[in-house]
Amino acid sequence: MGCLHLLPSRGVFIAMLLPDHSYVKAKSLEECLKTLRETGEKAKVVAGGTDVIFNMRLKLFQPEVAVSIRGLKDLQQVDELDDGSVRIGAACRLADLIDHPLAGGRYPAFKQSLEAVASTHIRNMGTLGGNICLETRCWYTNNSDQWREGLQGCYKTDSELCHVIKSSSKCHAINNSDSPPALIALGAMLTLQKEGATREVPIAEFYRADGVNFSVLEPGELVTHVTIPPVSDRQVFIKITPRKGMDFSLGAVAARCDGQGEQISNITIVLGSLVTAPVVLDKPAQVVLEAGLTDDAIEKAADLVRDELGEVSNLYGRSIYKRQIAIVLVKRALVQLREL
Amino acid sequence: MAKHLVTLTVNGDTYDLVVSDNQTLLDVIRDEVNLKGTKRGCTTGSCGVCCINNAKGEAVLSCLTHALEWDGEEITTIEGLEADGELDAMQKAFIEYGAVQCGFCTPGVIMSARAIVNAHPEPTEEQINAGLAGVNCRCTGQIKVKEAIREDHRFRHKRETGSGTQD
Ligand SMILES: Cc1cc2nc3c(=O)[nH]c(=O)nc-3n(C[C@H](O)[C@H](O)[C@H](O)COP(=O)(O)OP(=O)(O)OC[C@H]3O[C@@H](n4cnc5c(N)ncnc54)[C@H](O)[C@@H]3O)c2cc1C
Ligand code: SF4
Ligand code: FES
Ligand code: FES
Repeated sequence: MGCLHLLPSRGVFIAMLLPDHSYVKAKSLEECLKTLRETGEKAKVVAGGTDVIFNMRLKLFQPEVAVSIRGLKDLQQVDELDDGSVRIGAACRLADLIDHPLAGGRYPAFKQSLEAVASTHIRNMGTLGGNICLETRCWYTNNSDQWREGLQGCYKTDSELCHVIKSSSKCHAINNSDSPPALIALGAMLTLQKEGATREVPIAEFYRADGVNFSVLEPGELVTHVTIPPVSDRQVFIKITPRKGMDFSLGAVAARCDGQGEQISNITIVLGSLVTAPVVLDKPAQVVLEAGLTDDAIEKAADLVRDELGEVSNLYGRSIYKRQIAIVLVKRALVQLREL
Repeated sequence: MAKHLVTLTVNGDTYDLVVSDNQTLLDVIRDEVNLKGTKRGCTTGSCGVCCINNAKGEAVLSCLTHALEWDGEEITTIEGLEADGELDAMQKAFIEYGAVQCGFCTPGVIMSARAIVNAHPEPTEEQINAGLAGVNCRCTGQIKVKEAIREDHRFRHKRETGSGTQD
C-alpha cells in the first residue's frame, strides 16, 4: 500500500525553502490574540508546527504571518478543577500528556489516542491544540503543488469543484486526527478565545461537515484549553493503520459508558478519520443502551453504523472497505467496553 | 524578508546566527552552522533522517520546525556524539553490529537511538520499536539497528571502565 501516512512521495520536487512569510513568537496570550486580530486571515497559528510546516511545503498554507504559541506558558499547564475536571492547556505536547497523571494517567482512552499519533519524534513536537485543529486531509490536496497542477484546483485551493465527489458543492477532505474521537467520547469542552471574547464549546460541536471550514473556530480565535469532566474508566480508543507506529488512521473509534458488565446506563460511540468530521453514532448507542452489551445487541448496533456514516470516499482505499472498517471498529469497541 | 539574530548552542558550541523567518531548524543546521551530518530527506516529517536531540535528549525532527523557535536552545546533532576523537557508545555499537550500510539514514537513526537510551538505558523491544517508528532505513532492514541499540549499554560500560575492545 506504499507510504500511506503521507502522499507527496510521487517523485515530485518539493521546494527546499518554505514559502516567504514572517514568523512572530507571541510572548503573552494577550499579545498573541492582538496579533491574530490584526492579521486576521493572513495569519496562521503555529504550535508544534508539524502540520503547519507540512502544509506550507505543499503550498496549502501560505500565510503572511506565522504566529507561534509555543512560548505561552499559560497554555502549557494541566490542572485539576474543583469539580474534579481536568483542564489541559492547548499548547501541551502530546508526549508530555501521555505520561501526565491527570491526563493520560486519568483517561485511558485519551492516552490510547495520543499514543496513536504519528511517531515519538512527532509527539515530542506536536501539541494537543494542533491535533484538535489539524487541517483536513485529502488524496488530491495532500500532494505537492506541482503534482496538483496536473488537475484543476478544488474548493481547498482555487477552484469551485471537488475531485473526490465530483457533483459535490463542498469539500470532503477528512478529519484524520486521533484525539478528537476520544475527547468527544469523554465529553470534553474546548475554551476558545479571541481578543475580548472567551467561549466554551463542547468538542462534539466543534467540527463542521465541510473540509474547508472544518471547525467553528473564527478568524483570530485560539483554542486555549481542553477540559475533560470526571468520568468512569469504561472507555476505549482503537485505531486501524496499515503499519503500526506512524501512519494516519484508516479509521478510529472511541467509546465510553457507565454501568457494569452488560448493563450500561450511558454510552457515547464516536468514529474518527472516516469522513469530514468525527461521527457520533446515535442509533447504535441507543440499541446497546436498551438491550445491554449482549452479543446480539452488539451485532445489531454494528449493522446500523453504515446508515450514520454518509459518504466515505476520501483517502486510503475504497468506501466499501472503509465502511467495513467502521463496522469492525464499533464491534471491537463494544466488546472491549463490556470487559471493562 | 527580515533576518533575525539567533543564538543556538549546537553540540556545546554557541553560535550567533542570522536566520530568515522561513528557514527550518534543518536549513540552519546544514546551511548556516554548516554541519552536514543531519540529512535533508523528505522535509515533511515522514523519513526521520533529519532527527536531532533537544536539550532534554529527546528525538525531534529538525525539518518540521522553524529555526526562529529555537533561539536560545541547545541541541545535539550526530557530530556532537564523538568526544576527544572517540566515537560514542551507540556509534561503536552500530559499527560492531553492521547497522550501517549506505549510511544516509544513519545520523537520523543514531540520534533516534540515542533518544531511546536516554529515556530507557536498557530498552525493551517495544521501547526500541516505538523510538524507531517513522525513521526509515531502506538498507539494513532494522534488525541490525535494533541489535546495536539493545547492546549499546555494553559499549557505554566499556567507555566508563576504560576496558579494551569487545569480548
Ligand atoms: C509524518 C506525520 C504523521 C502524522 N501522523 C499523525 C497521526 O497518526 N495522527 C494524528 O492525529 N496526526 C498525525 N500527524 C499530524 C500532526 O503531526 C499531529 O496532529 C500534531 O498533533 C499536530 O500538532 P502541532 O502542534 O504540531 O500542530 P501545528 O502544526 O502547530 O498546527 C496544526 C493546525 O492547528 C492550528 N492550531 C494549532 N494550535 C492551535 C490552537 N491552540 N488554536 C487554534 N488553532 C491551532 C494551526 O494553525 C494549524 O492549522 C502526523 C504528521 C506527520 C508529519
Ligand atoms: S475533498 Fe475535494 S475539495 Fe476537498 S481537498 Fe479534496 S479534492 Fe479538494
Ligand atoms: S527530512 Fe525530516 S523527517 Fe524526512
Ligand atoms: S543504511 Fe542505507 S538507508 Fe539506512
